[in-house]
Amino acid sequence: MKSLTGKTLLAIATLTYLFMWVPTITLIVFSFSNDKLGIRWEGFTLKWYAEIFNNAAVRNALEMSLIIAITTIVVSTLAGTVTAYGLYKYKFRGKEVIRMSLLLPIVMPYIVTAGALLVFFTRVVDIPLGYPSILIAHISFSTPLAVFIVLGRMQRIDWTLEEASMDLGAGRLTTWRRITLPLLMPAVIASAVLIFPWSFSDFTITFFVAGVGNTTLPIYVYSALRWGETAAVNAIGAIFVALPLIGLLLMNFFQKKRVI
Amino acid sequence: MENRESIPCVELRNLVKRFPGVTAVDHVSLKVEKGKVFSLLGPSGCGKTTALRIIAGLETMDEGDVLIDGKVINDVPAYKRDCSIVFQTLALFPHMTVEANVSYGLEQRKVPKDEIRKRVGEIIDLMGLGGMEKRRPSQLSGGQQQRVALARSLILSPKVLLLDEPLASLDRKLRKGMQVELKRIQREVGITFLYVTHDQKEALSLSDTIAVMDKGKLEQVGTPEEIYETPRTKRVADFIGASNIFPGKVIASGNGKVQLETEGGSRVIALENKDIRSEEVTGISVHPELVEVLPEGTGLEGDNRFRGKIVEMIYQGDFIETKICLDQTGGLITSYLNSRLGRETQFSPGEEVLVHWSPESSNILLG
Repeated sequence: MKSLTGKTLLAIATLTYLFMWVPTITLIVFSFSNDKLGIRWEGFTLKWYAEIFNNAAVRNALEMSLIIAITTIVVSTLAGTVTAYGLYKYKFRGKEVIRMSLLLPIVMPYIVTAGALLVFFTRVVDIPLGYPSILIAHISFSTPLAVFIVLGRMQRIDWTLEEASMDLGAGRLTTWRRITLPLLMPAVIASAVLIFPWSFSDFTITFFVAGVGNTTLPIYVYSALRWGETAAVNAIGAIFVALPLIGLLLMNFFQKKRVI
Repeated sequence: MENRESIPCVELRNLVKRFPGVTAVDHVSLKVEKGKVFSLLGPSGCGKTTALRIIAGLETMDEGDVLIDGKVINDVPAYKRDCSIVFQTLALFPHMTVEANVSYGLEQRKVPKDEIRKRVGEIIDLMGLGGMEKRRPSQLSGGQQQRVALARSLILSPKVLLLDEPLASLDRKLRKGMQVELKRIQREVGITFLYVTHDQKEALSLSDTIAVMDKGKLEQVGTPEEIYETPRTKRVADFIGASNIFPGKVIASGNGKVQLETEGGSRVIALENKDIRSEEVTGISVHPELVEVLPEGTGLEGDNRFRGKIVEMIYQGDFIETKICLDQTGGLITSYLNSRLGRETQFSPGEEVLVHWSPESSNILLG
């Protein structure tokens, strides 16, 4: 019925999907298991979810992670959009250097960025390690992502639209608000949706610059695992999967609704 | 005040725009009369769009002045100029409805909501866009998009409407229709049109005045008839389709006629023109449809009769483009034979023929 190539491809594709999803699905399944270690099926329960939501430390960590992620999204997409606009529209010396140096944080190993930020906070500027330093770190590694997503969109925009707006009597600011921004909106939303999991689930960099006693959810998970709280961690893991998934579904929904 | 009427709607004085490596607009001066259709005609890259963008304020100039209604507006930003441009790409706002697109300019001018609604309604009727108000540009046909773009600019009653090849994206039949439509609209609203195009037929049928541009320079300004029948330079002649060009010098004149010797050594006759001095003449051009092809046996006596051989016949529908190699000089001359005549006389490639045009068909070139 099917050719050998077709069968082989199907097999490879299935294996790839299994490889990608089995660990995640296992984790979600076991987060509903009545087993204390969270590694065996002992019957359905929601008690781990109840436990993490009743645990003040988890709630606090989740809250901090969300606050940091949302602040990062707002600041990074704004700064990223404006930066991209400047990089795209204006000619100035050293533009290419700036463009390339913006790309660097995306390709650099996290550990290097993390170490650099730690040195920066403790030795160069005197910012105490804690939530402010975490926030600054998150913004600094998320903004380049926004820049590149928005730049990509800018390359496909008809810029005569801006000229048309000004020709019809709108000043620069009105033109930006009523024409440019709406046209860039899909890219702005896309970068927000991508920055969220990046910030929300970052461990390496946060761990370096967090200082003592300040936890985000990933750091809480790390320490919880060291104390052997596997089952509750499964539930947290499920939340980590669910939140970005909801984000992606929302983006998909908006894309289908928008005409552009 | 008494000569208020004679103030040109748009005036360019010695306009210069240089881009790296090229002078896009090279000392162009022109006046556009109020209430008329003025076309800037020329091949792509001749600087006509740049000139238009400078008038709109979307491009800065290096030298010269731009005047609208007698006032120098060099330093007025685009959004405060009393003109509006219809772009080649139309540049309709894709995220807005037809209604929102059309009312955009009035909103910027802080016109009261009621009046905006009234004027949008009027212009939508004038453009025949009724029922499309709530649609997005992507849901309209090419012709409808064209009308929205026009409506969006015309609703502001600008002193001059700048049109940058607005019909270029339409297919042939639609373009024809829109040309008629444009003329009708222009008559109804009475706004001055400054029209940029590379399509000579479009310029001839739409304009009151045509300015032909080439390589940033203004070559000739005149009525459509003047531009078509008496192009004064080789470039204009070639561009307008008077493609038989014979460079040469005047060697004799008298009896209302002048005789030229072409570079190939033939003698051609043209009518004498009192306004032109013989020394200035650089040659003649002849429109292909004015060149007659006669059977070989016809006599050689008379003006502008040459022997030749048909080398190519290209069927073009309403005429047959016939290329004839002249025996005397080896040069090529093109004739547009009426399809029906061509069939009756049954010329065929390779045939020896006689080529003829009357002295009044010879157009004198000055550059």
